Amino acid sequence: MLGLSGCALLPLSRQSATPTGLGAESRQEPALSGDGRLLASLAERGGRTTVVLQERRTGQVLALRHLRNRQPHSSPSLSWNGRYLALLVQQGGRRQAVIEDRATGQQHPLFLPAGQEPQQLSLAPDGQSIALELINGGSRRLQVFSLTGMLEPDRPPGLRESGGGPP
Amino acid sequence: MSRGTWIGAGLLGLLLAGCQAGPRPIQGLNQPLSGLGDSQSPSLNSDWLALISTRAGSRAQVQLIDRRRNAPVPLPGLNRPDSLPISVAVDQRGERLALVRQRGDRSELVLHRRSLQASQTVPIEPAGVPQRVSLSADGRVLAVEVSRAGLWQVDLLELP
Repeated sequence: MLGLSGCALLPLSRQSATPTGLGAESRQEPALSGDGRLLASLAERGGRTTVVLQERRTGQVLALRHLRNRQPHSSPSLSWNGRYLALLVQQGGRRQAVIEDRATGQQHPLFLPAGQEPQQLSLAPDGQSIALELINGGSRRLQVFSLTGMLEPDRPPGLRESGGGPP
Repeated sequence: MSRGTWIGAGLLGLLLAGCQAGPRPIQGLNQPLSGLGDSQSPSLNSDWLALISTRAGSRAQVQLIDRRRNAPVPLPGLNRPDSLPISVAVDQRGERLALVRQRGDRSELVLHRRSLQASQTVPIEPAGVPQRVSLSADGRVLAVEVSRAGLWQVDLLELP
């Protein structure tokens, strides 16, 4: 579906995310890469909530082999070129924040102090910091962590210091 | 220095090296965040952090933190006394904010331009109930989760 919608300040070009499965399936928690090229979202796969990564324009699905068997997934977040995908996965009886490096296949778990349960996250597009929404004692707090020295920056092509994600 | 001491020092060095490579709290930013009360819906980039905060006895509000100063900036024209923010996203320049908010008995998607202090409601077509929003860091694409007839869908909008 592609159409135009007039607005007072900005004209908007509208499309629906290309379905990735059989017929009309439920899609939730969209997250765009910094350049808008990739879209991560959650879909049901075999009865389990699973992150799906795809090219926004074509709908082509990109493989995420290292995240199998750690559903339910939630709160995906992408870096500028989509090299890094951060999300929450299930680790035993707990939710755990992990960052998958699509360029190297490495997975970086983020270990938190006991008693702090991550609910939502946002990875900075350059991959150098991450904000975590944590539940502790019934209250929701945000904490921001530096990832410098842990992840190579993933910046726009003109500013890039390292290779981006696979095409 | 004994052999045992060397081994102990080596292990400590390895441990510290491991700690240095892991995530480290950014205290300069976390300190002001702790004063905002309950906080949720983070949208982070290298210069800005957008979030929804609720202080005790107050309505939820969108906050935009300038990471260079570790302080919130004013958002005239965005927070309204008759609405409740649900989800927020900010672009890399801190110029465009996308917001889903509850006004009365309906949810609406709003695009805010900070330099103009202006918000526009973005129609959901076909009709649906928006919930979560994502804005690409370049500010050109908006993705919104919409509930339609019992099904969650993702709408994509390109912004000029």
